[in-house]
Amino acid sequence: MATNQNQNKAADKRQGKAASGAARSRHSWRHPLRSWANSHRDSARLALHRVTDAPFSTLMIVLVMSIVLALPMGLAVLIDQVEQLGIDWQRAAQLSVYIEDEVDAAEAGQLQSRIDELPGVASTQLLDKELALAEFQQHSGLGEALQQLAYNPLPNVILVMPESIEGGSSALRPLRDQLAQLPGVDEVQIDLLWVERLTAVLKMFERFTGGLTILLIIAMLLVMANTIRLAIESRREEILVVKLVGGTDAFVRRPFLYLGVYYGILAGALAWLLLIAGLSWLNVTVREVASLYQSDFVLSGMPVIDGLTLLAAAMLLGLAGAWLAVGRHIREIQPQ
Amino acid sequence: MIRFDQVSKRYPNGHQGLDNLSFHIRTGEMVFITGHSGAGKSTLLKLIMCMERPSSGHVFVGGQNLKDLRSHDIPYLRRQVGVVFQNHQLLFDRTVFDNVALPLIINGTPQDEIGRRVRAALDKVGLLKKESLYPIALSGGEQQRVGIARAVVHKPALLLADEPTGNLDPALSAEIMALFEDFNRVGVTVIIASHDLPLIAKLDHRMLTLSEGRLLADGS
Repeated sequence: MATNQNQNKAADKRQGKAASGAARSRHSWRHPLRSWANSHRDSARLALHRVTDAPFSTLMIVLVMSIVLALPMGLAVLIDQVEQLGIDWQRAAQLSVYIEDEVDAAEAGQLQSRIDELPGVASTQLLDKELALAEFQQHSGLGEALQQLAYNPLPNVILVMPESIEGGSSALRPLRDQLAQLPGVDEVQIDLLWVERLTAVLKMFERFTGGLTILLIIAMLLVMANTIRLAIESRREEILVVKLVGGTDAFVRRPFLYLGVYYGILAGALAWLLLIAGLSWLNVTVREVASLYQSDFVLSGMPVIDGLTLLAAAMLLGLAGAWLAVGRHIREIQPQ
Repeated sequence: MIRFDQVSKRYPNGHQGLDNLSFHIRTGEMVFITGHSGAGKSTLLKLIMCMERPSSGHVFVGGQNLKDLRSHDIPYLRRQVGVVFQNHQLLFDRTVFDNVALPLIINGTPQDEIGRRVRAALDKVGLLKKESLYPIALSGGEQQRVGIARAVVHKPALLLADEPTGNLDPALSAEIMALFEDFNRVGVTVIIASHDLPLIAKLDHRMLTLSEGRLLADGS
């Protein structure tokens, strides 16, 4: 009887143990979010170990990726700055209205006020031909020779500042035609051509950079995918064991995705540093060239927002590259 | 707990792993699967683990027909099962503790509970003092016991072992078998594939004998 009771007790105890075990596993079920977050934290830590455990190979991968990133980003930043300069020059765009010789100074003044009233005209300036000649004699060093001339070869000119230069010279053409119709006007010139050429050249470079960026992004994805593929391959045994004890594909995948994100962030940060250093190094020569043109143009540093964009893009590229590698590869590794 | 219903497995290379095999193992039983190498012992265990799919017939584990199990459900099946391998399948770049903790990490056990359960499992196999060592520093028998601790740490209802004493001397083998009997005593269903007939004969348990994929004998 006593033994029977004892046995029952033991059985109860056993059941109690089993029940509490089940309760505990339900307990972890009740917090799926917490266990999911825990798993992410573990994966993130594991991936960080893999990054720091092999500093040399990490450095190599990150260097390659940062160069790939810095190249198009640097070009984009440079083009952007030169473009900014071009826009400043465009603001100085104007139309030169050459007045016929027969028109005297008073009539030219009337013409100027007429032009002033035209829609689309911001301001005008009359360059008197006598004043212009005097100035020319003074500055050109041809003073003596010019005094020999029996007449003033320079025309009266009215400089017309348009209200808007959006759309370049083609947008200014109607205004030019309108001005050319006015009585007493000999010829109208748009002084915008060279700025437009610059803009066109910049557009070409922009396109080139765009194409280059696409190629380099593909290159970076491939580098990333290959790096992660190798990392997976070197952990094949581990993946098999994890799958055997019930690890899901997502569980196996996670550390590798984090690895891609870490590589991406490191590469983005290094590329940012490279660009900052590169721009200030370039600035030394830019300042010299600019001073030769009496310009105080300098490259401004890399905008912080661009740097952050670079960092975010690099992180996403790292993740995307890792995703490319893990998708099929991890599914294929099955315990046999 | 486990039912095989006219199960056949033919490999792509023409080898017949199992041939029209039917049997039933009840919850709480301890069963040995014996037979020559190539008789189908490993195939049988792989079918239970869903590492292989049968060519025909049905395998039921805990009332679940494995045919209805989709591939993304397989991990959850494996979490209900503890497996011990002949070659241990330990991770050599992780400590004994981390090796044993793996199933708990996978099923999302809270951190504080992991430490408690891992130490309980290591205590059970007598390796509590070696938790911070790497598997390479352990003997073959100790490595096998780490494998067993990992197989039982998440308290599975079913424990499978494929030649768990394959590389061990008789004394160690007997020790390992005694461990399995302990687990069986607390209600775990235990299935051991082994060709160590002298050892099995000493233990009084049900024995399924396979030959060329067929069931030759079923009894103790």
